[in-house]
Amino acid sequence: METRLANSFRLTVNEKKFIETALQSDLRIDGRRPFDFRNISIKFSREEGSAEVQLGQTHVMAFVTAQLTQPYKDRPNEGTLSMFTEFSPMADPSFEPGRPSEAAVELGRVIDRGLRESRAVDTESLCVLSGKSVWAVRVDLHILDNGGNLVDAANIAALAALLTFRRPECSLGGEDGQQVIVHPPEVREPLPLIIHHLPIAVTFAFFSNESTVVVDPTHYEEAVMGGRMTATLNANNDICAIQKAGGEGVLQSVIMQCLRIAGQKAYDITTKIKNAVESYNTERALRKIKRHPSAVALDISGAGVNIGKNQNKPLKGDSERSNLTSEKSVTDQSMDIEGEAKSSEQQQTNKIDGDAKNFIGGPSSWDPYSAGVNSDFLKASLASRGMTMPSRKEQGSRGENMSGEAKPVDPPEDINVSSSNIEAAETVLRTNGERTLQDAEYLRLAYTGLAYFSLELTEVKCKVFRL
Amino acid sequence: MEIDRLDGRKANQLRPLACSRNILNRAHGSASWTQGDTKVLVAVYGPKAGTKKNENPEKACIEVIWKPKSGQIGKSEREYEMIVKRTLQSICILNINPNTTTSVIVQVINDDGALLPCAINAACAALVDAGIPLKHLAVAICCCLADSGYIILDPTKLEEQSMKAYAYLVFPNSILSVRPEGSLKVQGEPMEHGVITSGTQGAMSVDDYLNCLERGRAATAKMSTVLRRNLQPQIASDLSFGDAISRRDLSGMISQREFYGVILRLDLASASSTA
Repeated sequence: METRLANSFRLTVNEKKFIETALQSDLRIDGRRPFDFRNISIKFSREEGSAEVQLGQTHVMAFVTAQLTQPYKDRPNEGTLSMFTEFSPMADPSFEPGRPSEAAVELGRVIDRGLRESRAVDTESLCVLSGKSVWAVRVDLHILDNGGNLVDAANIAALAALLTFRRPECSLGGEDGQQVIVHPPEVREPLPLIIHHLPIAVTFAFFSNESTVVVDPTHYEEAVMGGRMTATLNANNDICAIQKAGGEGVLQSVIMQCLRIAGQKAYDITTKIKNAVESYNTERALRKIKRHPSAVALDISGAGVNIGKNQNKPLKGDSERSNLTSEKSVTDQSMDIEGEAKSSEQQQTNKIDGDAKNFIGGPSSWDPYSAGVNSDFLKASLASRGMTMPSRKEQGSRGENMSGEAKPVDPPEDINVSSSNIEAAETVLRTNGERTLQDAEYLRLAYTGLAYFSLELTEVKCKVFRL
Repeated sequence: MEIDRLDGRKANQLRPLACSRNILNRAHGSASWTQGDTKVLVAVYGPKAGTKKNENPEKACIEVIWKPKSGQIGKSEREYEMIVKRTLQSICILNINPNTTTSVIVQVINDDGALLPCAINAACAALVDAGIPLKHLAVAICCCLADSGYIILDPTKLEEQSMKAYAYLVFPNSILSVRPEGSLKVQGEPMEHGVITSGTQGAMSVDDYLNCLERGRAATAKMSTVLRRNLQPQIASDLSFGDAISRRDLSGMISQREFYGVILRLDLASASSTA
């Protein structure tokens, strides 16, 4: 449409000349050096599998979803990974809605090749029932703002989203063991995808004057450049994919130099992604206690609720919205019931019987987060933040406290102390006939807490992070 | 009879609102509106030359593109586009720039109930950010009807699915004007009692619907203060043209659009300061 053409981005001759001349003296218009990347910021939203990446002015969002489908006939044991790229018209006035343009298709293919051919995402672990039922993982990439270098930004977004995505656990059941049962997240903890390495795409732009090369071009530089190359490498300096489709011819030595630079950039970006995902995972684990009631709020009102002192407060389902202070006071309890997220400022505990949600995964999974929230671990992190909670310190008084009030457990600083906690817990168990389920759970958590307590905080995080 | 909502809100209580403008760099205007967990991002490009084939070339045309979070684009997306387009057409001054198209692109970031009202609010803020001439602002709200006849505002997705019926309503934002009081009334009623858009899902009686209207209008008063307050603080930075120029990397000229945007926001500031 002619009206559309009127809106496409056109640089004047003066602007083009300016960019090229500046590049000859190694100056870029935004002040970077030729081999500098722009600032990368990775943000996650509350739900799993969604990431928002900002690379300078480029803004990309990725969403990951998974569904059970039939596998391909020639690969009955593997799940599938598919990418859908949306060049939204909000990113650039020249992007049109409807059929994806060439650039959109190319971007999708480059990122897909980097992940699939290099076997970064383990598709065999996505198989549930060979030949019948596998997980199909779908990555939706939305380009929100085109500030140049969409491939790199979209690649980072896709990786970040895949790393934080959790798929529901499923098992085989039914009479013949052929029926697939998908467990909802409240019953069994969802599992992360197995990702072996992170292929990072690094894009170079070539200009016609004297083999000038720059990394991470902005959209002004893209309008002026003569050719581009995208190299996808991982942190081990393995080349996963190279894409140079047409454009200027370039000397071999320049290509080799670019690949060396790409290796360094890939390593930097990999560390940034890992740090961002790690901090998201710890934050998510701290919030996990409250994740359950938002989903089971509908059941709680029906089931037998053993509410301590506040009978009239309606159960607050989505307590993820509660602010940090109420979060801290909630984690007093080894249980996941949060309804009193708001009311626990008064140090009340609501105990709900028959709550098997914390018994997730077996002892075989050493993921401390999937074993339910480690109350001691949380309290340690809380204590380190300096939150003052009344009657937190006495361990001896734990006996009485277990029966009714908030449970003040002093986070044991070393194993000796924690073993005395367990003894105290055991004595409580023997003396207090009722509330045995809750005590048993507390004991279990205390035992797992023992194992983890001797580790450093960072080591625990490394265990969770499967890279 | 008190209704216990899942997240503990009262029947008349809205979720926390958040609005931010000028988020995207390439778009002429952009805004994101968050109501609780529902978040929508809207970008506006325009006015661009030319109108589409079936549109009236003597007026400006508004084109809406709705992008869902994931999945194929289907009939429901087309319906949303049509509703947002008609709503925005009634608040824009269409005779100022004839034979032009303004594109409004809506991207759903998260859907947790009251999606369409959230999108309309965001679109209104984005239009202001882009400097498109508007008659007045619009605020949208969603009201749900429970089985007991009780009306609750701003439902979450779970509530929407379990309720008997719901209605989304768009009201004009009250005008703060230096003109005399009488001129703000349309046929004897104050202007903000009008309804720009109304859509319902499910069956409700006439009385229930009128109740929804009353409740919704009262609640939109709060929303419109949030909207207005959000549009204001940017004025300090908008007043300096130097800032506007520095936002554009190469071209030193400030476009007519940005100029118009500054004037519009000055209007709002002066209007509310006289109130």
